[in-house]
Amino acid sequence: MTHHQLFEYHPLIAYKFIPNLKVRIPHESGGYLVQTNRMGFRSNHEFMRERNPQKKRVLVFGDSFTAGDGVSNGKRYTDIIEKLIPSLEVYNFGVSGTGSDQHYLIWREFARDTEHDVMVIAVLVENIRRIVARYRRYLDEEGRRVLFAKPYFVLEGDKLVLKGCPPKREALREDELPPEEQPYVERGGRFELIRRVINQLGIKDFVHKLTHYQPFPEYDSPDHPAWLLMKAILRQWVEEYGQKERVILMPIPLYYHIEESCDATPYRRRFEEVAEELGVHLHDPLPDFWAYPPEVRRAFRFEKDIHPTPEGHRVLAESLKKSIEKVLGLNLSFS
Amino acid sequence: MGKIILGISGFYHDSGAALTIDGSIVAAAQEERFSRKKHDPRFPKQAINYCLQEAFIEADELDAVAFYDNPLLTFDRLVHNALAVAPRGKEVFIDGALGILGKKMWVNDYVRQAIGSLGKVGKVLFCEHHMAHAASAFYPSPFTSAAILVMDGVGEWATTSLGVGKDENIELFAEINYPHSLGLLYSAMTYFCGFKVNSGEYKLMGLAPYGEPRYYSRIREHLIDIREDGSYRLNTDYFGYLDGKVMTNEAFHALFDGPPRKPESRITRREMDLAASVQKITEEVVLRTARHLRKSTGERNLVMAGGVALNCVANGKLLAEKIFDQIWIQPAAGDAGGAIGAALLVHHLYFGEKRKIQPGRDGQKGSLLGPSYSSESIRAMLDRKGYPYHHIQNRDERLRLVAQAIADGKIVGWFSNRMEFGPRALGARSILGDPRNPNTQSVMNLKIKYRESFRPFAPSVLLERVSEYFEMDVESPYMLLVAPVKKERCKPMDLERFRGGDDDMLPVINQVRSDIPAVTHVDYSARIQTVRREDNPDYYDLIKAFEAITGYGVIVNTSFNVRGEPIVCTPLDAYRCFMRTEMDLLVLEDCLLYRNEQPQFEDDENWREKYELD
Repeated sequence: MTHHQLFEYHPLIAYKFIPNLKVRIPHESGGYLVQTNRMGFRSNHEFMRERNPQKKRVLVFGDSFTAGDGVSNGKRYTDIIEKLIPSLEVYNFGVSGTGSDQHYLIWREFARDTEHDVMVIAVLVENIRRIVARYRRYLDEEGRRVLFAKPYFVLEGDKLVLKGCPPKREALREDELPPEEQPYVERGGRFELIRRVINQLGIKDFVHKLTHYQPFPEYDSPDHPAWLLMKAILRQWVEEYGQKERVILMPIPLYYHIEESCDATPYRRRFEEVAEELGVHLHDPLPDFWAYPPEVRRAFRFEKDIHPTPEGHRVLAESLKKSIEKVLGLNLSFS
Repeated sequence: MGKIILGISGFYHDSGAALTIDGSIVAAAQEERFSRKKHDPRFPKQAINYCLQEAFIEADELDAVAFYDNPLLTFDRLVHNALAVAPRGKEVFIDGALGILGKKMWVNDYVRQAIGSLGKVGKVLFCEHHMAHAASAFYPSPFTSAAILVMDGVGEWATTSLGVGKDENIELFAEINYPHSLGLLYSAMTYFCGFKVNSGEYKLMGLAPYGEPRYYSRIREHLIDIREDGSYRLNTDYFGYLDGKVMTNEAFHALFDGPPRKPESRITRREMDLAASVQKITEEVVLRTARHLRKSTGERNLVMAGGVALNCVANGKLLAEKIFDQIWIQPAAGDAGGAIGAALLVHHLYFGEKRKIQPGRDGQKGSLLGPSYSSESIRAMLDRKGYPYHHIQNRDERLRLVAQAIADGKIVGWFSNRMEFGPRALGARSILGDPRNPNTQSVMNLKIKYRESFRPFAPSVLLERVSEYFEMDVESPYMLLVAPVKKERCKPMDLERFRGGDDDMLPVINQVRSDIPAVTHVDYSARIQTVRREDNPDYYDLIKAFEAITGYGVIVNTSFNVRGEPIVCTPLDAYRCFMRTEMDLLVLEDCLLYRNEQPQFEDDENWREKYELD
């Protein structure tokens, strides 16, 4: 926990980083540096509307895996790509703890007028759960568990309707929620109690393998309501954006998938289908992670924190770089 | 960029961290401010995190990490002490040995675990305790050469050290060793008078002017042998700290007419007189030592550190005696300040880097070396919590509003700029009031600080006005000097009943002693902070605004906390303290919060229990 508050309320997104922060967050790695720009995104540089004619520009949207929880700004995959591709600037619009629904809103609110060449929609596979949630759990400054409301979309027929906006500003206690809202609290997955026990016993990986645990059954069927909602959000975003050939859709795997303790096939299949359906580029980085031996892959996440280590970010960067270069080769300018 | 060094102090009391870049102090903070545990002795991981944050560097960019103490030497002292008092003292030895072998010996591991790196040197560099104190006093001072005086309870062995600093070099040429310690004598008396050791010494000093040094001769005769050169020896037959967990023993109690005062019980004439007596002893030792130091070193300047250097009454006497031309005292003179000393020692002596002195200015930067909070982050907190506030961006307007509130008798919580390093609030985390108002002292003590009513408050005065109010014409930016209030401002007091033996201090406290009664102690003295615009522009301009309204370039400044609580660090700490007390207005940078506009405060912790009384 840091003695600095990191986020400020936002009436559309729910929250974003406080602008102009320079904060060091204590962490099992020893700590990492967070710098935010004037607009309130984790970046060492300001986001300008007009593009620098000498540079190509990529916009990236995502959650904490993109915002870089656990690592300093310069060690994130977005910043590494900037170093790997000369004359490229990457605008990282990642906000920790958010879902793809909020990423779409971030694009609408902050990025749609920003000139660029490529847009990367990074979807942590877990986001499928966040988009159906209306409340997320956080720890407050005293380390107590509280809920914050978030905006969310619902499908009314084929129509995507935004709800819960503006979200409530103040934190809520879980017992304050009416019973009908309780199912919409994002609790980090299924079998909460069993997970807690297994985690405390330190046998999580073993149990996952033994039971063929599938953490995200929402991907099992193309007709699962959560997947239908995800697809609708992505479709509306890409349609509104209008230039699908510039879009890279990147599902970011969790460690279960990287370390092969659960089957990645369902989610990979779903993202293949939706990319094809929307006509956007799919970048699936999982094979690039699998190219490393299992004992090396364990080092792509921290000991306790599941976020990528600097090594994990490096692999992701090298993987995504290939797709960005490919798209940049096809699209040399943005009008 | 020059060498980047992290200094750490900890595991005794008041741990802290400091970071220097190219010999300049970039950040320093005490762990207690973050952990909210007063005098927190634990490894200062949050203070270290803050220091790296302020410099905005990765841990592996550190050139070195320095620790303020040598655990092996401390262990050596413990073993010797145990042998000397055997078979008694087993518990003291076990406790001390566990503290050292269980923690201090593993500083490397603590650092690696906390920040993931030991810097480029690859190991923690250990200093000696009094060398760290000496370095914290000499290197940030504005002097190219100076005599050095370090006095505290105990480090490894030394309790008093005399030395000299010249350019980059520091030499400690004489020392008095444990168990003989002026600091421990003062602490023993603090304990005996019912206050907390390592924290209540300040109260004893504040109590001293109410008493007469009636026990002076008894202390000289039985407890301490003071030589002409200021060196001294204690008679250890009277102290409990060698072989027990309390400072005094039965012989001590018998000498001073009975058992120790129970904490929180009524303060009697005995405690007042004991306070006056031990204060007189302290001043005598300090003055004699200073004279000896002046003579033996030939230096015209003096620098000081160690807990005893926080005795601002003794410091004031030292200044008034004009033994040295100039005096500079490390404002974080206690153990936390050792972190600065350790870092600077490594910079100048390990890496051999030259000192860079700015003529006429010290390197302490007003001791505003802690975290600051932007208006954006303050408003983010207030918005999220739903606390009503007025965002007044016009600086002049804001300062005028605050100054007017103080002039109207309101008590203001003032949170501005970077947090202070050291025990004193210097206008960054302060509670402010009107010094002219005869009610300010009692209101602040009883309704704001919830502390003993005898305790005085300090003035912050514009530097250029100091000699208009006080018998002093030098700078005292760190509130470490006491001087008399100008005679023409003082008013006679009726002390007949009190001097006649009545223990009740209230009739004395409530008498108007000058035209700035809230900052005039019962002996017509004041613990002064002079304020320069360069050190803290907002605070200086606030006092200026108060002067424009009232004609007085001075305000009451006390630390922003309640009794037993560490000074506030974050805006949320400040808000909590504001709502737990009867302050009228809270200033969080450019946001003003009026008490009568705030919602009912749901206090979720029992702070009266959480913050132990000192």
